[in-house]
Amino acid sequence: MKLLIVEDEFSLSQSMAEYLGAADYICEQVYTYKDALEKIEGYDYDCIILDIMLPGGSGIQLLKYLKKIRKSEAVIIISAKNALEDKIEGLQSGADDYLVKPFHLSELVVRIAAILRRKNFDGQSFITAGDLQIDTAAKEVSVKGNVMALTLKEYQLLLFFVVNRSKLLSKNSIVEHLWGDDMDFVANHDFIYTHIKNLRKKIVAAGGEDCIKSVYGVGYKMQVKP
Amino acid sequence: MKLFTKYNRINILATIATFMVGSVAFFAVLYSILRHQLDDTLRSEQQEVTEYVQTHGTLPDFENTRHQWITAVQTTQLPAHKHFSSYLHHDNRDGDNDWVRQLSFPLMVGNVRYTVYVNRPETETEDLLKLIIAVTLGMIGLILLVNYLINRRLINRLLRPFYSTVGEIINYRVAFEKPLQLPPSPIDEINLLNESLNEMAARIYREYYALKSFTENASHEMQTPLAVINGKIEVLLQNDGLNEQGIQQLLAIEQATKKLARLHQSLLLLAKLENRQFIPDEPVNMQQVVEAKIEEWHDLVKSRGLAVQLTCERTIIAFHPQLAEILFSNLFNNALRYTPQGGSIQIFLNDASLRISNTAAAGPLDIERVFLRFYKTQNAAEGTGLGLAIVKEICSLAGFVVKYAFTAGNHIFTIYFSNKTTQA
Repeated sequence: MKLLIVEDEFSLSQSMAEYLGAADYICEQVYTYKDALEKIEGYDYDCIILDIMLPGGSGIQLLKYLKKIRKSEAVIIISAKNALEDKIEGLQSGADDYLVKPFHLSELVVRIAAILRRKNFDGQSFITAGDLQIDTAAKEVSVKGNVMALTLKEYQLLLFFVVNRSKLLSKNSIVEHLWGDDMDFVANHDFIYTHIKNLRKKIVAAGGEDCIKSVYGVGYKMQVKP
Repeated sequence: MKLFTKYNRINILATIATFMVGSVAFFAVLYSILRHQLDDTLRSEQQEVTEYVQTHGTLPDFENTRHQWITAVQTTQLPAHKHFSSYLHHDNRDGDNDWVRQLSFPLMVGNVRYTVYVNRPETETEDLLKLIIAVTLGMIGLILLVNYLINRRLINRLLRPFYSTVGEIINYRVAFEKPLQLPPSPIDEINLLNESLNEMAARIYREYYALKSFTENASHEMQTPLAVINGKIEVLLQNDGLNEQGIQQLLAIEQATKKLARLHQSLLLLAKLENRQFIPDEPVNMQQVVEAKIEEWHDLVKSRGLAVQLTCERTIIAFHPQLAEILFSNLFNNALRYTPQGGSIQIFLNDASLRISNTAAAGPLDIERVFLRFYKTQNAAEGTGLGLAIVKEICSLAGFVVKYAFTAGNHIFTIYFSNKTTQA
């Protein structure tokens, strides 16, 4: 999967490229409006990560241009602007998703994965991780053919782990992924422990490997054999 | 008081005063002329009597009538001069008291001393006074009537462009996409008003948008470095060489970064609320908002052993969907955060109000300061301290009223909707 990262802040662009690179995406980075335009005109990508305020122009303009020349790239906007009108404008102009800065890279990966699944729907709706097979179309998870009965939150949690496999996920990022931005007022995120415990129990009960490990009590990590 | 009413009142008072003074002066002049004539008549009567006495040596027979009568009284002491005076005379025929003008003068008939009194009633003067009062009152009445008619017809028409200008100003919001455009008017004063308002609005509009883009740019500029920090932390976390202590430190930095971002977003939201950048005119189903939020946080409520009781009616109000969510989630957040383990939260919603009450961990909050920015109690280190300030601002924007009360160990926040709509 080939991604184009359009973000003028070099450090942020680097972090994204590094994190996404480790998740087996091929990333190209551009830092200005003009360079982005050239890349978009000359090459095809699966997904474009687009900042709105760029030196030389607006990401929204870029997005509109992309739709005008009928390119089919998925677009996820990353912007500091949480101004409601901006969000709506971005989505109206044809962006597939919108992420407000600062965000968790793990969240970005999940959003990109979801967009790409939607875009390449034909035959791509299955994700495999170790013993686990996830049918994202039916929202079903099976282990060695046994379908597991998961609650919606457990399903979302598992998908988050699978997409970010081999990554240490802080409790913060898990809570924010499942319950949104508002939840961060809760100092103690131990209540997600119950969810993770249940999920692990269900995987083991279905005959799967217990692949979600707690790391020093600060986060969790999914380790599956390739 | 309307400008015109005020103008009219002054105008009418001045007119009445002028007529009063004018009438009094007019009366005084006429009165003095008439009295002068009357006195002349009395004098010529005196002359006739004196001449008669000189010629005949006796007093004449006085032919007294209702309009003039003469009496001669014998005296021992002669008055020195002739003398004019007025007195009230009771008329036996019609029972009225009338003013009578009298001339008294000394007269010698032979060796007998007389004082002669010549009398004439002043009824003409009185009639004149009555007439003048009638005319004055009539004129004042006529002026009032004419003023009223002018007010009704002409002035209201003259003021129409003024009211249309006022109407446009009332409906104008700076947050609208275009500056105020008042039309030119054929009346100079209104035209001047409209031009000045257009100019002022254009200036405010420019400054408002400069400020708006400044706050947004500032937000952008601050969020990006925060995103960089966050990104670096997350990449670092994947480093296998980290020990537990290192990870703990990184997560503490992440937490602080998140809080900073949140604080900044809250301040930005407050600025936008103060700038009235949201227009609360969409029908919002509050029941849905409340139920969705409670459902979303069900897990947290359960893990804290809290009991949430919801009494909810279908309520649709004119509001802003995102603000509705922020409003409820800020209040619900607080309730969740400060309710001790095993406590309860009650939520009541109907089309007049939304009430959230929760078991208090300690005593009442400071009613004066609870909605102020950065108001925190000792045990509330976690929040931004802006949640209730935002609630207050949202309410003021939407025309709601928010009240805090402490009853029977419960914090109670109530929002009274006052501008609800009834459309389904």
